Amino acid sequence: MSILKVDDLRVSFQGNVIINGLSFSVEKGQTVGIIGPNGSGKTTLFNSISGFVSVTGGAISYNGREIQNLMPNERASLGIGRVFQNFGIFREMSLVENILLALEGSSSGKANAAKVGLAEMKTRSIEFLKEVKLETKADSKAGSLSGGQMRLLEIIRTLAFGADLFLLDEPTAGVSPRMKDDVAGLIKKLQGIGKTVLIIEHDINFIQKFCNRIIVLNEGRVVLDDTPELVRKNEQLKEIYFGGEA
Amino acid sequence: MSAFLQFLISDYVIHLAVLICIYSILSQSLNLTFGLGRLFNLAHIASCALGAYATAILSTEFLMPFWVCVPASIFLSSVFALTLGAISLRLATDYFAIGTLAFSSVITAILINWRDVTRGVLGVPGIPRPEILGIDFYQNINFLILVFAAAIFVNVVFYFIQTGSFGRSLRALAEYEEAAQALGRNTRVIRNKAFIFSSAGAGLAGSFLAYYLNYIDPSSFGFNEMVFVMTIVIVGRPGSFWGMFAATAFLVLLPEPLRFLEIPSAYLGQVRQLLQALILFGVVYWKRKSLFPEQRQV
Repeated sequence: MSILKVDDLRVSFQGNVIINGLSFSVEKGQTVGIIGPNGSGKTTLFNSISGFVSVTGGAISYNGREIQNLMPNERASLGIGRVFQNFGIFREMSLVENILLALEGSSSGKANAAKVGLAEMKTRSIEFLKEVKLETKADSKAGSLSGGQMRLLEIIRTLAFGADLFLLDEPTAGVSPRMKDDVAGLIKKLQGIGKTVLIIEHDINFIQKFCNRIIVLNEGRVVLDDTPELVRKNEQLKEIYFGGEA
Repeated sequence: MSAFLQFLISDYVIHLAVLICIYSILSQSLNLTFGLGRLFNLAHIASCALGAYATAILSTEFLMPFWVCVPASIFLSSVFALTLGAISLRLATDYFAIGTLAFSSVITAILINWRDVTRGVLGVPGIPRPEILGIDFYQNINFLILVFAAAIFVNVVFYFIQTGSFGRSLRALAEYEEAAQALGRNTRVIRNKAFIFSSAGAGLAGSFLAYYLNYIDPSSFGFNEMVFVMTIVIVGRPGSFWGMFAATAFLVLLPEPLRFLEIPSAYLGQVRQLLQALILFGVVYWKRKSLFPEQRQV
């Protein structure tokens, strides 16, 4: 069964059609890249799945349950994790507090927090920070981190929250070339533990390292949906990006 | 030494200490919504007024004891908080501030015009000090002990609220609402709870204010009072628990040296307001980049 199914999705803002009958499904454990030119509806698609925009038509199912009418927090509690393009970390809080928010926010975490106490929850937070080698900065403000470190923190925080489906919106935006490898390593770790990952990315070279599949969007529709190799070779991709001149 | 001791227990010092305790409850409770939650709540003093009037009317008209008046004040203010919560979910930032200001004006209008209950601009006189377990709180020193105990209790409660899981959620919503929702936080529930806690504190402060002053009228809860409490929160650094204590003591005591200068008493009030306004302006101007975290959205 598909973990995520998007069926004839339509989204409009003030009369402008952003997503126009978009359909695809994702199997559990898949890593899918989403690419497309600016304005093709990539981030709006993620916002529709996360619940931050209202859909005008169609359906979104997560683990067989229709979710398009649920609140964002309800969708998150089902296991949909979101990593934001403009860094969704809380910069005024310490790294530990960022992870604590995730641990306390998950449905199992609430019960755990009451049972094990704050000290144990902090210890668990540090364990997650160790995964991304940020434990030495545990008590620093998250705003003091570099772009790459912020991204690692946000992804590991989403894992600490207990997400099964990761929606990563341009995870390499604002990340130095050296740190891109660390981000890629963390995404591979997510794959290794069976998480389903959707990645919006402009850098096709980056995502083809670990994607099983690439979906190309244009004008709010799926125009290509294939393996990275076949998508790269497809002439339609060049037409979309370069208007057929390349 | 004995002269110093005499000064410490003089009515003047006790009066200032009582005011510091009451304003510490008021500022710490506003700090939760305005400071931590970045919700520009201009109706906090209206919550305080509701608490004060509940105590005033119940204790004078119905001769209700302390144990009924105080919970009733807290309850009434908390119910009012649900209105603020509803506004906050429909109006964002600046519009929310205008919405709460409008609601505050409605409360003032009710206090002035519902004369059968509130006695309008005449106010409610003769509010008796409480008597608890045979202890007479007409003595100011006894009242100070009572309000000091209440202030400590409220501040401890707010300390745990602010530094615990709930406080973290509120700060997260203030900084990046969608990111907090993506971690399972329900904006409606968290904001409503914050307004309930905050208004309950304001209601309690209002109840003590009514007991202490023995007389209240609508002018006791005007916009100047709102600005004063907001100044405390801003000077104490929004969101800072300990900053509220220092700022409350500083701003309550600030006009006191003026009494010893040769300023005509008719101008004392204006000079006090001018000083507060200058301090508020100075802090907002010099600390404008660090007072509140940058708000982001998806």
